[in-house]
Amino acid sequence: MKLDPKNLPLEYSTETNKLNILGFWIFLSAEIMLFATLFTTYFVYVDRGVGSGPAGAEIFELPPVLIETFLLLTSSFTIGLAVHAMRINRVKAMIWFMVVTLLLGAGFLSVEVYEFIHYYHIGATLQTSGFTAALLTTLGTHGAHVTMGLFWGIMIIIQILRDGLNARTANKSFIFSLYWHFLDVMWIFIFSFIYLKGMM
Amino acid sequence: MDFSDRFSIPPHDDPMLYASIVAIVLTSIAIVVGVTYFKKWGYLWNNWLTTVDHKRIGIMYIISALLMLFRGGADAVMMRLQTAVPDNTFLDAQHYNEVFTTHGVVMIFFMAMAFIIGMMNFVVPLQIGARDVAFPRLNALSFWLYFTGAMLLNLSFVVGGSPDAGWTNYYPMAGPEFSQHVGVNYYNWALQISGIGTLMTGINFIATIIKMRAPGMKLMKMPIFIWAALITNLMIVLAFPVLTIALLMGTLDRQFLTNFFTTSDGGMDMMWANLFWVWGHPEVYILIIPAFGIYSTIIAAFSERNLYGYTSMVASILAISALSFLVWVHHFFTMGQGALTNSIFSITTMLIAVPTGIKIFNWLLTMWKGKIRFATPMLYSIAFIPLFTIGGSTGVMLGMASADYQYHNTLFLVAHFHNVIIPGVVFAMIAGLIFYWPKMFGFMLNERIGKWAFWNITIGFCLAFFPMYFTGLNGQARRMYTYSEATGFSTLSMISFIGTLLLAVGFVFLVYNIFYSYRHAPRNIGGDPWNARTLEWATHSPVPEYNFAISPTVHSEEAFWDYKENDYELFKGKVEDIHMPNNSGWSIIFAGFFFAFGFFFIFHVWVGVIIAFLGIIGCLIYRSFEKDDGHHIHKEEIEATEKELGGAK
Amino acid sequence: MKELFPLKQVNGYIFSLLLTVIALSVYFFDMSLAMGLTILVVTAFIQAGVQLVVFMHAGESEDRAGIYIHTIFGVVVAILTILGSLLAMIWGYMY
Ligand code: HEM
Ligand SMILES: [Cu+2]
Repeated sequence: MKLDPKNLPLEYSTETNKLNILGFWIFLSAEIMLFATLFTTYFVYVDRGVGSGPAGAEIFELPPVLIETFLLLTSSFTIGLAVHAMRINRVKAMIWFMVVTLLLGAGFLSVEVYEFIHYYHIGATLQTSGFTAALLTTLGTHGAHVTMGLFWGIMIIIQILRDGLNARTANKSFIFSLYWHFLDVMWIFIFSFIYLKGMM
Repeated sequence: MDFSDRFSIPPHDDPMLYASIVAIVLTSIAIVVGVTYFKKWGYLWNNWLTTVDHKRIGIMYIISALLMLFRGGADAVMMRLQTAVPDNTFLDAQHYNEVFTTHGVVMIFFMAMAFIIGMMNFVVPLQIGARDVAFPRLNALSFWLYFTGAMLLNLSFVVGGSPDAGWTNYYPMAGPEFSQHVGVNYYNWALQISGIGTLMTGINFIATIIKMRAPGMKLMKMPIFIWAALITNLMIVLAFPVLTIALLMGTLDRQFLTNFFTTSDGGMDMMWANLFWVWGHPEVYILIIPAFGIYSTIIAAFSERNLYGYTSMVASILAISALSFLVWVHHFFTMGQGALTNSIFSITTMLIAVPTGIKIFNWLLTMWKGKIRFATPMLYSIAFIPLFTIGGSTGVMLGMASADYQYHNTLFLVAHFHNVIIPGVVFAMIAGLIFYWPKMFGFMLNERIGKWAFWNITIGFCLAFFPMYFTGLNGQARRMYTYSEATGFSTLSMISFIGTLLLAVGFVFLVYNIFYSYRHAPRNIGGDPWNARTLEWATHSPVPEYNFAISPTVHSEEAFWDYKENDYELFKGKVEDIHMPNNSGWSIIFAGFFFAFGFFFIFHVWVGVIIAFLGIIGCLIYRSFEKDDGHHIHKEEIEATEKELGGAK
Repeated sequence: MKELFPLKQVNGYIFSLLLTVIALSVYFFDMSLAMGLTILVVTAFIQAGVQLVVFMHAGESEDRAGIYIHTIFGVVVAILTILGSLLAMIWGYMY
């Protein structure tokens, strides 16, 4: 669906805003390559890099992964709703949706932390083997992105509360939503090709 | 394991080391005292350190690149001096390792990359008729991160020891077991930090070129250098994240003892090589494509005709950029993988020569029908064509997987890549610098001294590198710090050393030329001293802060030429208020925290790492809350400036 | 309340949950590696496409051509990097 050029939503309303959004899309393609490199490493190490450590099938557990997936998918949905609320100028609803998104993100992170502790206890640490290093670095990079997103989201909520919705804050919120959806997409690939394939 | 158990500091004692420490300290003191004495801190801070102006950032990149060229050049002279005669003892093995490593790192990352990015910074907005890049503040940050990386790497020499595993940094050589001082930590962090800066440059320029072109400049009406810049930045954005991750893994291996690139517990040392070249091959094309763009611009300007085969030029840039992501395995044909893999990558490698060849023919045909003027920028461009063809041909030889078993890791390879990088990239940057010098500084460089420099550099290059093809074919391995008389390499090595000296003399002429011309060159040269063809020459010299008082309207890829020769109206409309970004010290402070972060991380000083990290976060939060809407330059002010510079444009 | 939950997004959400369930079949049923991978590739890429178009509004602005070309080029290079590395580091030793 195309936007009506004569009646652009706030986040597209200035030249700077349009540049910011385009710039962020370009940044996302760099992120695609960043994760692709991690996947490359993971796929190479998944069979050949196990060494004397455990293999994927021995350490993965379905329940926490399912919870994580559900939380992140839902948060991607709610941030989409936040942008929609923003476009129909329902600031309050928008902020609530953002808060829910961040809470879901925090939930995701807690489960992930639990998962990491679990790996640690069963002897799959960063140092164990090439495979565990690739696994934990991939998951960790994604987790670090989510953490970063949490703080960023909080900054934006504060600014909306302070300044209301204007070209600046709307632009930031929209870009934040792009980031968050992107993290969800990356998680789907992690979920499918690291966990599910590993447990197949 | 403790840091002190694993890393030894300093690696070895050496009078040269102490001499250079003293030299560095003295120079720093001299700079600080000098700036204070002349009361220039304010000027420096307000006009340069905090600037967001693409022209100034470009110039700062280029100055840094030149400094790095001399740093790397000194390394080169030392290496060739060591190998000038057999069994020489000027440098020992460890020292030689450090010298060739820093030479490569400095030249590729901090000289060549900085030079092309500086050139793009200066030229791109002017050539598309814009007032700045898309994200001026980010642009300043890119520069300061690059500068931080460069300083970190240069610091390694004095504090802790330089990296010593080659610019390709192969594991397990680079691992904690075989490289026991902090040098490779420096490598990881210096490249990580400057790589982030480069990535941001890439994003910035793509957005700039996509969205900020002057009205009428459709994609196929963009000057060829803009095409080159667009594609280069596209490649930067897709290639640099790979390096980021590879360096991260290297850091984890060295500093947290993981097993990515070890040879035990599932580690795969060659995985580093794989990732390095996934980034590395696109990287060499990131260097050469802007150079192609510069040559195209210069050859068209000095042949006084339009570029032959514009469309095929664009198509071949696109083809090269796509292919360059598909060939990386040619750097390790000898790893031991089977014939199928090697054949696939061999074919893709040789395919790249096709679009490259097309470009060569286009340049030749441009000159064929033109009226050639032999100014120095043109001389470099003309010398480039045959020399680069030799480099490309030896590249194709190397690209044949089975033959590469003979050439790989010999001086033949070294000759190949210097043969494409020096006449390809370095010549282009020198030519571009001379070409754009009047736009940057308002006076021309002396042609006679420039030609002296040119001949020294060109002949020096041939003498220095052609012998390596022969010794390489005879089996002389690269990165060996000495050889015996019996190998028979002595004569050719000596010739190579003499060539190196000539090259050095050429660069001295280049610098002397700057001093000479600064003092003697006339200043009233107008905006278009070369009778050139593209938009940047429609501005005043030196270019006012806002570039164009009136945004130009464009209808062809040589808008300025059409304006001069075909009575095309460039500046429709009238002067209005112009919106410009504000200067800001944020970028340099932010980069300062990165410097501290990298430095402390290298030495495992975790308190320092945490403090620097909080500083980084603080800067990000500050930036998030900052409201900076820039300022307006008023109509009257612009009109006054334009009048002073001689007529509104 | 209703205007806060546009049909398009709700459908997108349900659809992505559905795709997840389909992907899960590789865990619960016994199937060949090729079959399982096919399911995963198909579901993951459709899922990514849904996010891109429904949630991220990739096609709404005047720069959509640039955005699509850039993203697709990125994805293609990413896939080639993965396959090429596997070719060099794993499959290359088998064939
Ligand atoms: C016709 C085009 C080219 C072909 C077919 C080609 C082919 C090759 C091959 C096969 C190698 C690896 C050889 C070995 O390690 O045994 C190589 C190395 C290299 N090439 Fe090229 N090349 C071409 C153009 C270029 C250009 C334009 C540049 C740079 C601007 C360049 C820079 C390099 C560098 C830096 C290395 C290796 C460095 C190292 O191992 O330290 N090449 N080239
Ligand atoms: Cu290559």
